[in-house]
Amino acid sequence: MYDMNRVENAVSQGDIKISANDVQVYYGDKHAIKDVSVDILDKTVTAFIGPSGCGKSTFLRCINRMNDTIPIARIEGRIALDGEDIYDRRVDPVQLRAKVGMVFQKPNPFPKSIYDNVAYGPRIHGMTRNRADLDQIVEKALRGAALWNEVKDRLHEPGTGLSGGQQQRLCIARAVATEPEVLLMDEPCSALDPIATSQVEELIDQLREKYSVVIVTHSMQQAARVSQKTAFFHLGHLVEYGDTDDIFTKPQDSRTEAYISGRIG
Amino acid sequence: MPLSWALFASFLLAIAGYLVGRSRAFSAAGPDIRKLHSRPTYHGFLVGLAAFLPAVVVIAIASLLRMSGVIMAEAGPVVGLVALAAAVVGLGWGITRIGVDFHARNTVERIVLGILIFCSLIAIATTAGIVLSLLFETGKFFQIYDWKTFFFGTEWTPRFQGNSQLGILPLLWGTLYISLIALIVSVPIGLFAAIYMSEYASKRVRGIAKPAIEILAGIPTIVYGLFALVTVGPMLRDYFAQPMGWGNSGSSVLTAGLVMGIMLIPFVSSLSDDIINAVPQSLRDGALGLGSTPSETIRKVVLPAALPGVVGAVLLAASRAIGETMIVVLGAGASARMDLNPFEAMTTITVKIVSQLTGDSDFNSPETLVAFALGLTLFVITLVLNVVALYIVRKYREQYE
Repeated sequence: MYDMNRVENAVSQGDIKISANDVQVYYGDKHAIKDVSVDILDKTVTAFIGPSGCGKSTFLRCINRMNDTIPIARIEGRIALDGEDIYDRRVDPVQLRAKVGMVFQKPNPFPKSIYDNVAYGPRIHGMTRNRADLDQIVEKALRGAALWNEVKDRLHEPGTGLSGGQQQRLCIARAVATEPEVLLMDEPCSALDPIATSQVEELIDQLREKYSVVIVTHSMQQAARVSQKTAFFHLGHLVEYGDTDDIFTKPQDSRTEAYISGRIG
Repeated sequence: MPLSWALFASFLLAIAGYLVGRSRAFSAAGPDIRKLHSRPTYHGFLVGLAAFLPAVVVIAIASLLRMSGVIMAEAGPVVGLVALAAAVVGLGWGITRIGVDFHARNTVERIVLGILIFCSLIAIATTAGIVLSLLFETGKFFQIYDWKTFFFGTEWTPRFQGNSQLGILPLLWGTLYISLIALIVSVPIGLFAAIYMSEYASKRVRGIAKPAIEILAGIPTIVYGLFALVTVGPMLRDYFAQPMGWGNSGSSVLTAGLVMGIMLIPFVSSLSDDIINAVPQSLRDGALGLGSTPSETIRKVVLPAALPGVVGAVLLAASRAIGETMIVVLGAGASARMDLNPFEAMTTITVKIVSQLTGDSDFNSPETLVAFALGLTLFVITLVLNVVALYIVRKYREQYE
């Protein structure tokens, strides 16, 4: 399976979707992200790994400007999406977040019906003209999140009534329905059991066909399973970034080696 | 010996008992304190309670007997002596029990549990007592007055000579009208203030503004009444009612409603604030992460999630508005009237309860007894509102647990 991935990588590599240059993040006095520069590719799953508190989630939240909602957070440096600086003053974070979707650690379906959860994004962005269009988008998103068969008969029941794994796939469907270009996932499986985890991982692998997916994970096995590129963060630094195979088989930095062999973290 | 002295003496005895019990326990333990089953303080507490509780029980029973006329008030000194004797006996009993194997901790904890249960029973019994006394007097009222006239009569004209028209509808109308205006004022303002406080305000602004709003809640309602009487009432009359030809009354439904609404603002806002804050941050993140603006997040996700709780808050506010008296007396006047004009003086059930009970009528006349029927009606209305509100609020809480 890995070899297949590598072949596809070879095809798509070169399209840089997001490029970050010298990004610094401060939370009040705390320097949380230091000099991070990285190029994230289109139609690729990129995994951010590293010990707790290393800044991987913080950096992920910079990519769709979710850190703007934290008053004490301050960001320096440049992050560009398709070559355009997302921290430029003319960029509206609201529009940016429509292009860069996010799935959170804990499944957070809205207390609405399954249908309304998925239809939320298309509705607020005025993506449809009539109900039939909306029905179609909802069905497509739910199929895309591999949830359609399980919920097609109870679309109008509350989304909070689903199981944990289904809720997380519902949240992925909700993000996909907005037709983003990039999908950010902040430890999407950490609240799920192994079966639900494998379903979501399978889904992530399919999402790669259309989106650039960035996933933060605590599990190195998960990073190895789902990603083609891996970035290792340590104490706010991006220590090493490269093909997942290389990071896990022949890491260049001693800290990376120590982490993947379980000596730190 | 007066009872209060007996009580005080047995309290001193209890303190002495505590000290004696503790030191006895220490000496019973000998050099190894761990041989004691219970720590010495528990032995002390037990001796103290053994002295104090019997005295309290004796005095309580004696008071009940005196109320029901079995013993005379002159028996006070005897009762005091009996109480003191009970305290001494209890103290002696407590001291004899002290020993290495005595389970003083378990006994003390059982007694404390008993006291806790007793206190909750008092709260429940008081409610039951209030309802029963209302029911009793209301029953007397309906024996001498036709219930159909009371519930469906549109005239409220009590007379001293008897033969009064005591229809509740004009009062009910005034109550609901004023409460409605109060809610129309307080719900949007309180809710919007809560939204600003919980979603937009910076920590510093919130730290100043929230207590400032809550100061409003500490103002006694009679002060709001004065505000209605000297400021709002004349202002509404001079600038709205008279120029528009809607009336000349200084006191009006609108005055009372407005001022009552102001009184309810902090109530609605602090309840809604708590409820909005209870909506998990993850829902806000989820909505923002999909590209909603902050206002879309509030309108489409936060408020719908908080809605049941907000409805509960509104119902609680409504039941307060319905029970409010002072603002109505000073703001809306005391004339029972059924009218749509909000610049007209009207009155509410609570105001009429006060005026019927403070009049000169014979206590057993329907003019006085009607106050209890009014009170019971009010009680039932607010009880239903509270039950519905609590039910809704509880249902909402379950959603996130």
